[in-house]
Amino acid sequence: MKLALSLGILVATILPTVSCFGGARHFTYLYEAPTSAPGSVELENWVTWQRGSNPARFDQVDFRHELEIGITNRFQASIYLADWFYENDPSHSGFAYSDSAIELIYNLSNPVIDPVGLSIYEEINVGRQHLELESKLIAQKNFGPLILDYNLTLEAEWEEQGLQERQGELQQAFGASYEISPRISVGLEFLHEFVFPDWRDKEKIRNVFVGPNVAFRHENWFVTITALAQATDTRDEADFKVRTIFGFGF
Amino acid sequence: MKKISILSVVVACLLACQLANYVPPVTAQMAAASKGQHVDLVTLREGRRLLVHRCIECHTLPPLWHYAVEDWPNIVNGMSHRASLKPAERDAIVAYISAARSTAQ
Repeated sequence: MKLALSLGILVATILPTVSCFGGARHFTYLYEAPTSAPGSVELENWVTWQRGSNPARFDQVDFRHELEIGITNRFQASIYLADWFYENDPSHSGFAYSDSAIELIYNLSNPVIDPVGLSIYEEINVGRQHLELESKLIAQKNFGPLILDYNLTLEAEWEEQGLQERQGELQQAFGASYEISPRISVGLEFLHEFVFPDWRDKEKIRNVFVGPNVAFRHENWFVTITALAQATDTRDEADFKVRTIFGFGF
Repeated sequence: MKKISILSVVVACLLACQLANYVPPVTAQMAAASKGQHVDLVTLREGRRLLVHRCIECHTLPPLWHYAVEDWPNIVNGMSHRASLKPAERDAIVAYISAARSTAQ
């Protein structure tokens, strides 16, 4: 937590000296291949509300504050200053700090002029009794006003006392977004998750989520919202989730 | 048969969108067409690179003929701050669009 506070102070000191916008998102559960312009800085605030009812009803609201920085024409870095959440279930309710993270994205090819735009992504996430590594392959193709996007993600997570509890997850996500005007896009997002508790596939946990999204951008800010419903019936998973990302450049 | 027909229609739609979005590579012909404006091949290549990298950070690219040639400087200028474009980079994008259009005509 101290680290997050120190980073916050550092950021507040640096921000007035820069003034650019990193770019707008067309999706909230998928990353896009283009990286931010060098020297650009953007603050993105994420809010994700999840509600589940299997086996008992629960609500969880996750918050993320991400600072995105363009380093070179092909490389960007982000700092998740603090991930925190509010949860409410029959046993308890309240706020808690979750973790902080560093995310790096390197762009390999362009979605307009190359056959497919590719980027690779790496995230290191550290919290109290929590360590997570996430690797991603991002593939995108722009067809005029239509963006087709695909993410393949592998997550490894260690939790609890001594980081003894471990879990893996493989996720593929597909998104389509159509730009109906330079400011507004509408689309669809689809997630397919394979969860491996203790890195084994004994329980055959598969989750599928699908739903629409809408993105609005103007001047140096944007807001993108996605609503996903679970198409499977997995225990302890949300029935639906809504994610909003609000970003602005300084 | 029905599946192949649907797939063919989808592929045709995507290709049509892609053609509308065509960003032609820089040619010597383009540089020759821009000679009066003191623009060289390097500048045009940089303009194309910036157009396809920076502009798509926020939005998809409109067809280059979607706006009049004289409107492009104001359009690019209006978004240059957001796209972190320096004046020379902004001018390179406008020069590329102008050259691409002049050789396409």
